[in-house]
Amino acid sequence: MDWLRLLANQGAEAGWLSESFAYGFMVNALVAALFVGPLLGGLGTLVIAKRLAFFSEAVGHAALTGIAIGVLLGEPPENPIIGLFCFCMIFALLLHFVRNRTAVPYDTLVGVFLAVALAGGAALLMYVARKINIHMLENVLFGSILTITDFDLLVLGVSCLLIIVGLMFTFNRILLASISPDIAKVRGYNTHFYDYLFVMMITLVTIAAVKIVGAVLVGALLLIPGATARLMTRSMGSFVLLSSLLATLSCLIGTLLPMELKLPIPSGASIILVAASFFLIATVYRIVARK
Amino acid sequence: MGPSISLSHVSLRYENNIVLQDISATLGSGECHVIMGPNGGGKTSLLRSILGLTPFKGEVNIHWPKGKGKIGYVPQKATFEPSLPLTVLDFILLNQSRSPLFFNFNKKHKVKALQQLARLGMEDRAMFRMGQLSGGEQQRVLFAQALLDDPDLLILDEPTNGMDDQGVRYFESLIADLVKENKTILVVHHDISAVRRLQAVVHVVNGTLLESGLAEDVLKPNKIERLFNHYRSHSNHQNEEVA
Repeated sequence: MDWLRLLANQGAEAGWLSESFAYGFMVNALVAALFVGPLLGGLGTLVIAKRLAFFSEAVGHAALTGIAIGVLLGEPPENPIIGLFCFCMIFALLLHFVRNRTAVPYDTLVGVFLAVALAGGAALLMYVARKINIHMLENVLFGSILTITDFDLLVLGVSCLLIIVGLMFTFNRILLASISPDIAKVRGYNTHFYDYLFVMMITLVTIAAVKIVGAVLVGALLLIPGATARLMTRSMGSFVLLSSLLATLSCLIGTLLPMELKLPIPSGASIILVAASFFLIATVYRIVARK
Repeated sequence: MGPSISLSHVSLRYENNIVLQDISATLGSGECHVIMGPNGGGKTSLLRSILGLTPFKGEVNIHWPKGKGKIGYVPQKATFEPSLPLTVLDFILLNQSRSPLFFNFNKKHKVKALQQLARLGMEDRAMFRMGQLSGGEQQRVLFAQALLDDPDLLILDEPTNGMDDQGVRYFESLIADLVKENKTILVVHHDISAVRRLQAVVHVVNGTLLESGLAEDVLKPNKIERLFNHYRSHSNHQNEEVA
């Protein structure tokens, strides 16, 4: 990564790039945005097709508890990746497991799990607050471009590669299993496997995006670009591609804009506001076009 | 050549409601079998049991003549959200190919999908959203999906629901062609005159298997009346059992 940071620095010094590119953390954040954006946008279309918006939101919020557990178990406060990964994965898989075995409506079940995770997180954070600077929590909740390290980029790159390879082989089957599970089963597809695989992908991308977007807002980035693309596209292929493009643009612009305008806004909030403005424009366009 | 299917003491119940009770039958290969009966008589449950989509007691065996073959299935109803940009072509490609819809540049896949839609008279609707189609048009697309792999066994749950006359005639001629190719076809159908035209083996199901035989033997006016009388008594009996 050093070569890229050096290149960006030289570009900034020569005046080809904005001054922001002279900072190494900004280059890290933009690379992270390029990794995370397409995935969040692409997976978001499946979240919408499967009506799992509330679920993805819940996994994002569960990250808070995962981080608290990680710190309590002795992980470094700035990067409690094992606690975060393990808790979010167990949370998502357990929720899906219970869903398949109960008559409780799914949104109610997600609400219960979300409340338990948040309550657990709130309780644990009291203990965590004694160990770390409480302001670090703001970074976890709303994202911070200052905290992204080379190790984070490595984790992010590996996660993204795994998800992209997985999606290339399973996208159609995951979609069919959600649209018509009976047809999928008759075709010999293991619909439970594809459901669990999708849940694991959502969890992985959520964990990967927590640092840049923040636990509270990561679910929104799975949703808003997809919701925008749904208004503008006529086929599933263009839906996925436009959603990925919008999510990537939101991540890039949302990361750059506060630095350029010298605004004290967390990257997560800025990214979501950019994504929301795309949604607003698309909605107005649809209303005007209909008239 | 399509398979034959043997059912042995197939029973199914949902909590207190007995849906199927001790059904034993053999459905011959290369024939069109129509399952008829009143609403709530267990026709769809029987199809789902044969397909392994619902747990049941008893045994269902599909005897494939040359190793396990392909099954085509048209469900009774599929719900497509109107706002989801899933086109008719997307839906067929979804069933046909593993290449993800956002990365499918294979022209052969598209040509094959369009040919399949043309077979059902739906090629001009290829770029329509699934949720925009009428019920009858959706059934046609589902039928096109079922025929994709040239299946040896075709299981159709009320495939002409919502179809116009032209669609029904199209469907009937396709079924006749498939029977000529020795495919085994199993259809749930309500329309007695349409079933007579299909020249099928009819199985009347209402919780149990009431009667099996050629359409002209089973669908006689006095027998049809008996079937519906049985429906009333069956319902009353079940209500008494539950009470």
